[in-house]
Amino acid sequence: MPWENLYPFTAIVGQERMKLALLLNAVCPQIGGVLIRGQKGTAKSTLVRSLSVILPEIEVVEGCPFSCDPNDPATLCEQCRNILTKTGSLPVVRRRVQVVDLPIGATEDRVVGTIDLERAIKEGKKCFEPGLLARAHRGILYIDEVNLLNDHIVDIILDAAASGVNIVEREGVSYCHPARFILIGTMNPEEGELRPQLIDRFGMCVTVEGCIDPQKRVAIMSRREEFDRHPAAFLQKWEEKQDKIRQNIQRAIKRLPSVSISDELLSLCSKKAMEALVAGHRADIILQWASLALASFGDRIAVQPEDIETVAELVLFHRKRQSPPPPPQQDKNQPHDHDHHHDHQQPPRQGEENKSNQQPENSSNNNHQGSSSEKEEGQEQENTSAVGQESKPAQATLPFKEKVFQPGEPFKVRRFDLERDRKLRKGSGRRSRTKIATKAGRYVMSTMRRKNNDLAFDATLRAAAPYQSRRKRENVAIAIESSDIREKIREKKIGNFIIFTIDASGSMGANKRMSAAKGAILSLLMDAYQKRDKIGLVAFKGDKAEVILPPTSSIELGYKLMEDLPVGGKTPLTHGLLTAYQLIESQLRKDPFIYPLLVLITDGRSNVSLYGDKPMRESLKVAEIIGNDDRVRTLVVDVEKKGPLALGLSEKIAQQMGAKYFLLEDLRANILIEMVASEMVEIERNGGEGIIIS
Amino acid sequence: MGIERPIYPFTAIVGQEKMKKALLLNAVNPKLGGVLIRGEKGTAKSTAVRSLAQLLPEIEVVSDCPFSCPPDNKADMCSICLDRFEMGEKLPAVKRRARVIDLPVSATEDRVVGTLNLEEAIKKGEKKFEPGILAEANRGILYVDEVNLLDDHIVDVLLDSAAMGVNTIEREGVSYSHPARFILVGTMNPEEGELRPQLLDRFGLCVNIEGILEPEARVEVIKRRVLYEDDPVSFARAWEPKQQALRDQIKKAKEILDQVEVSEELLFLIARIAIEMNVDGHRADIIMMKAAKTLAALDGRSEVNSSDIQQAADLSLQHRMRRKPFQKIGLEDEKLSQIFLSSKMEAN
Repeated sequence: MPWENLYPFTAIVGQERMKLALLLNAVCPQIGGVLIRGQKGTAKSTLVRSLSVILPEIEVVEGCPFSCDPNDPATLCEQCRNILTKTGSLPVVRRRVQVVDLPIGATEDRVVGTIDLERAIKEGKKCFEPGLLARAHRGILYIDEVNLLNDHIVDIILDAAASGVNIVEREGVSYCHPARFILIGTMNPEEGELRPQLIDRFGMCVTVEGCIDPQKRVAIMSRREEFDRHPAAFLQKWEEKQDKIRQNIQRAIKRLPSVSISDELLSLCSKKAMEALVAGHRADIILQWASLALASFGDRIAVQPEDIETVAELVLFHRKRQSPPPPPQQDKNQPHDHDHHHDHQQPPRQGEENKSNQQPENSSNNNHQGSSSEKEEGQEQENTSAVGQESKPAQATLPFKEKVFQPGEPFKVRRFDLERDRKLRKGSGRRSRTKIATKAGRYVMSTMRRKNNDLAFDATLRAAAPYQSRRKRENVAIAIESSDIREKIREKKIGNFIIFTIDASGSMGANKRMSAAKGAILSLLMDAYQKRDKIGLVAFKGDKAEVILPPTSSIELGYKLMEDLPVGGKTPLTHGLLTAYQLIESQLRKDPFIYPLLVLITDGRSNVSLYGDKPMRESLKVAEIIGNDDRVRTLVVDVEKKGPLALGLSEKIAQQMGAKYFLLEDLRANILIEMVASEMVEIERNGGEGIIIS
Repeated sequence: MGIERPIYPFTAIVGQEKMKKALLLNAVNPKLGGVLIRGEKGTAKSTAVRSLAQLLPEIEVVSDCPFSCPPDNKADMCSICLDRFEMGEKLPAVKRRARVIDLPVSATEDRVVGTLNLEEAIKKGEKKFEPGILAEANRGILYVDEVNLLDDHIVDVLLDSAAMGVNTIEREGVSYSHPARFILVGTMNPEEGELRPQLLDRFGLCVNIEGILEPEARVEVIKRRVLYEDDPVSFARAWEPKQQALRDQIKKAKEILDQVEVSEELLFLIARIAIEMNVDGHRADIIMMKAAKTLAALDGRSEVNSSDIQQAADLSLQHRMRRKPFQKIGLEDEKLSQIFLSSKMEAN
């Protein structure tokens, strides 16, 4: 693109691993791409885009939309094969490997390709118009902010990436063409994680961070300013280096077929992969390719053990697992990369030790920063460290910014996504994607069903195109009949509605229960904030329950209220449940498309009566009513310590409500989140068409 | 619209100096990457943004190009203009003020990024690209009122073009790519929810504003507003000298901007601030430096001093600090002044 003055690759300061990963892919496309994860403002996109001008040249068939390889007759497209059989040779040009941008707003028709509208109308011919997958063949498909990409488009890309072929059957065209490309994606994990299947498609994965060396930072600033001021002069200045790296790549590509790897080192590759407990054999193979590419890039004709060491991290990073793979159905809400990239350098044992080493430091931190739980701490100093450990997720000690927490402080929540559902819903949020019935949301594809008056103009034209030569056209180029009409299918994420019902009675003050519970709730709040979920808070103590936070997406408010929530008095559990239920009902009336989830945190010692019956019996009755309402999902956190004196009342309530149930002892907040997550998924599974609304 | 009612003049806005400064800086240096204005209702946020248009310097554009391409700069042209330019055509140029383009919260994606031209398709059976709001905003200001209420998928497409200066469209049968360099200006009321961190980072500068508390200034606000409502034309005329003076100041600053230098020492100060304030990535450093330079230029100096950097840090770090969850967006002023203090002591 002419107006894009690209910042030169070689002028980028630092970020060596990211550069290495990209260069190795340029040398050896078999590696299969890179996923770059990192904070904003770390030159992720700049680097990928700058790659396009240093990529090697390849030979392609001139005029072929799929950039066919003239030297490989087996992979030729239909058109090229015809030319070859007719004339015996193919016109060849050399050009740079292309970087094809896939914008996140892309629609299906442009990704896979579709009928050529103009030719259909003007010449009455059904021709295939190639899409992005065609353009990316033998090149790079680059997706910026890949984690924001529409699921449907992701499916298409996965499909093509897996088979190397793009099969198009739509709008009267039937076409099949090769689509082998290097997938490069950049993402900021703050915005949400990637689907595990998609992660696995990337040959390598790099996590980038900003430099903390002031020298480098100054260099970054000065170079950027120089570039912004006089781009042309800057490019000229770096041209020599750019040229050198181009030559290095070309040379490495040429040398690659002659680079060898010993059997011994091959088994080192496999060993590395096995140590990382990766699934399948893809990692071994990629590891081998990557070390070959590295050797070739380093002017050597044999792989050395160091090569493997260097690339192992890049290849295995996102594939590591700690334990045997979980059953496939759980895969969705437990992205393994997220679990494991924190502790990639240490076996789990060591991580545990670290944690206890750092404990003192953590508690001293706690004194500085007003944590939400300090109010309760006064009463139960002796418990501080114990609970602190509990509410802290296991990875707390590792050097990631979201990992160091004080007791009761929130932490970053692992992803819990819902699968897409097929029901039309309304709403806005980010947790679950859904096809929606309103005219908002991202246009993904079209349908023949007519319901919304949401005309998909492009699709309608394409549908009409094949028939134009037969139709009567008056003063227009294209005659549209009602059978051609297509409507848009839009996709948008909807949020969940999570209502926390918190027991704030005196008994919750004991053993730091409240502090731990708050920590977990705050974490869920933060997660909800990023996912645009709606939340509500109900607290019950003394003689009544109160809606302390009406359903809102302003989580900040919820945080403040949570922080200040005092503990004391009796336990009006019945009223608490009822209040929460009423809140859910009113919310469901307003918006029947939400997924309400009631999270009850209590010791179950109901001791205030609402209707004059025995308090516990009342509570169980209300629990049963809620349990019978299948629009509402429930989850109970029991804060009572298990032991001979335990009454097990919460468990009874949970049974009555049909709720998921677990103990405070398990209240490492992570578990709570998993619980919520699995609950959400279950909704999905039952969901399908039937569950919501009658 | 019949006779156009003059917009409330920028210079007549009482107080809110920080906001005005941030907007002016962007008028001088479009590379700063826009402003996010966070504040309560009724704090002249929108008034200030809209009135900025009258102060923007004039630009030369190709008169028949939907992307307002510059007629003489090859590097920034759209593909059509570039073709014409290469063919030796003299591109028709007009001078006009840079525009403020509104992005309404209810905008649909096809209108924002552009879509298939309906008329051309039906009448001629040709596929033409119909430019959207991002095309209109090229070389101007893209103004999003209530930016925090913007639909998520619109934010996504905005992120992309705001960062790269290019709008790539692969949808609804069209495949197109055009320059989309705009100054992103957003206003929001934080009570209604925060912005996504990724979008937050795309705004070069950020100011938090509050209503004015001094009674005299408040009275002045009312007085001026009444005068303006009564007779906008003569109100605007009365303020014209001040407006002109500010326009001249902007113009001059633009001219000397390229000559402004930052000493090595101050660059290290910037790096140190960024590191100690614990910001993500490097965008903060770059913006801080650019803002400091622009501040110096606006002040007519060709050398950045440490007070420029202090002001620049205030404007560019607010929204980039790593926050603890739910912590308010804002600067740890104390920490910042400490860094300055210690750097001064080291220098002496």
